[in-house]
Amino acid sequence: MKILVVDDTDAVLLLISRFVEALGHTAIQARNGVEAVEAWRGQRPDLVLMDMMMPVMSGPEAAAMIKAEAGALWVPIVFVTGVGEENRLAEAIEQGADDYINKPVNFRVLEAKLKAFSRTLDLNRQVVEQSTKLADYYDRAEEEKRVARHLIDQMVNAERLSDPGLEYWLSPAESLSGDLIAAARTPGQVLHVLLADGIGHGLTAALNVLPLTQPFYSMTEKGYSISDILAEMNNKIRQVLPVGRFVAVTLLALDEANDCVEIWNGGMPALQIVDLQGCLLKSVPSSNLPLGIIPSHSMDFAPVRHYFDQAGLLVACSDGLIEANGPEGGAFGIERVLEAIGNNLCGNRIESVKESLSEFLQGHSHHDDVSLVLMSFGVDAKPAERAGTESPAIEPGFTMPSLRALDLCKWRYSLTLGADELRYINTVPFMMTFVNEVKSLTHSQSDVFLILTELFVNAVDHGLLGLDSKLKQTAAGMEEYLQERAVRLAGLTEGRIEIDLAGLDYGGSELLQIRVKDSGAGFDWSGWSRAEAGQTTFAHGRGILLLRALCVGVQFVGNGSEVLAFYRPSRNRQPHVNAAD
Amino acid sequence: MTPTVQIEGSTGRVILSGQFDFSAHREFRQVCESLIANADVREVLVDFQNVNYLDSSALGMLLLLKEKIGSANKTLALVNCRDAVKQVLEIACFGKIFTIR
Repeated sequence: MKILVVDDTDAVLLLISRFVEALGHTAIQARNGVEAVEAWRGQRPDLVLMDMMMPVMSGPEAAAMIKAEAGALWVPIVFVTGVGEENRLAEAIEQGADDYINKPVNFRVLEAKLKAFSRTLDLNRQVVEQSTKLADYYDRAEEEKRVARHLIDQMVNAERLSDPGLEYWLSPAESLSGDLIAAARTPGQVLHVLLADGIGHGLTAALNVLPLTQPFYSMTEKGYSISDILAEMNNKIRQVLPVGRFVAVTLLALDEANDCVEIWNGGMPALQIVDLQGCLLKSVPSSNLPLGIIPSHSMDFAPVRHYFDQAGLLVACSDGLIEANGPEGGAFGIERVLEAIGNNLCGNRIESVKESLSEFLQGHSHHDDVSLVLMSFGVDAKPAERAGTESPAIEPGFTMPSLRALDLCKWRYSLTLGADELRYINTVPFMMTFVNEVKSLTHSQSDVFLILTELFVNAVDHGLLGLDSKLKQTAAGMEEYLQERAVRLAGLTEGRIEIDLAGLDYGGSELLQIRVKDSGAGFDWSGWSRAEAGQTTFAHGRGILLLRALCVGVQFVGNGSEVLAFYRPSRNRQPHVNAAD
Repeated sequence: MTPTVQIEGSTGRVILSGQFDFSAHREFRQVCESLIANADVREVLVDFQNVNYLDSSALGMLLLLKEKIGSANKTLALVNCRDAVKQVLEIACFGKIFTIR
């Protein structure tokens, strides 16, 4: 040890210094309090042996200064005291001195005391070292969490959650959430909402749900159905997460144009559908394994459909909410969630659930991540109908003969699919990948998707599969229609569909021509123009109205198995087709 | 919770108790590995008789166990699942990939 010896009597100073050195320590000498403080500043001794009564500055004064300057660093100070100094000594010890030894110094006792201090100093150093390390770890962990949080926020794209008709609440048990809520609209304005819950909570749970975001956003953007997105998410999780890790998922698709919500629930608590009076209409329990456990081909990604004829609310939450345990035992439960919503149907429903939960927990915190999504449906005007009232079928200046006479094409994208390919290729989203790249169509993604979908579905459903759209007039019929469609498509052995996109030059501006031809028998399209007059109010008529509203010209050719549509790309960013904006 | 093991003939039974969550991770794994290593054991039963709570990390441990048991050519069943346990297994639809008795 490096020991600072302070005494105004040279003899004593020398004697103690020699003794300390004899024990193998290094002695630093000082003759009064001021010198002692300076020596401490300059040489940082491990321990101080100090006389009390000294000229210039006394021992206790110097001790107080050294202790103050040392701060968190522990410098033991031992006073060497004469008889009659007990009172001052007691004061000095109270002010921070560590020990004392009586004059005349008993060297045997001093040696023992120095050994004891040496041991305590070692221990003290270890503790300091460990706590510094701990503080370092803590800082590093906080920094990592900060970066992770930023990364996750970026990938989750909270901006898109601010969709009208969507309310949500996410409250992590730790600083990072293992629950994930994401929302995005397809080019056809179908609202996709993802609610996912990874195992556990905190960083690892957050990492588990991250792989879902990329397929969710990119495939929704291209207009893929939720079944396709689920299959891809399942593949992704199996690819990147270790065995034993899985993600419970609810995926919703709200299609206001067709009055339908598609729901897929794999491992999440049952979803509740309530009407605007708060009455429960339907409950959709989990009927699938969570994602990431078995291969996609062994999973059933077919969604449950709810067709609505009145406005309502869909309630989805993670088990962290309904299993939150109150201080008196028992879980919060879905009934309390629905009750809180029902009590405040027209107000801030999320806030009322939050209040109900915090009242239930009585100031305790929830142990798992809590998330809640409320999706309103049937409230807004239908996009298709609204679009239908917007613009005349053929704008002035565009006549069918003049459109058909255009033959200068700047680019062309043609695709022909046979029966085999039609069974498994998701054609429209696939073509959207190309459309996304065409600069002149940048602001028209949504329109092009709607037109392509309408024309393609018509060609497949009516041209090749011979389905009757009259079925689609009721919810039950719709379900039957879709089932029949799946059966006929699976059994399709012959037939082909040609799709042709071309960029035409129309007086200096670009015009998109979409041609779809099927190998079917065609149909009598002479009656088709009547639909134009607004006589068709059935679901299947909306498609035609939509086409006429979006395109500057639509015409069937020959026996009706070929259709040409002309579309003038928008130059401005399209707002979301929604009554709220 | 400390899992206990009973071996009767070719059946090894892992009896769990209390809360089955991540804190049981190490002991559960050790117990299961001993059964997998035991060549006489052909069937492993996970007994939930005394379990009152099961969380998602427990489901993850069961999946891991299933994987290991499968590669050791043994069979696995989850038995004596009480209400709370049954409910969690049902929400996760584990009946599709586990034998639950």
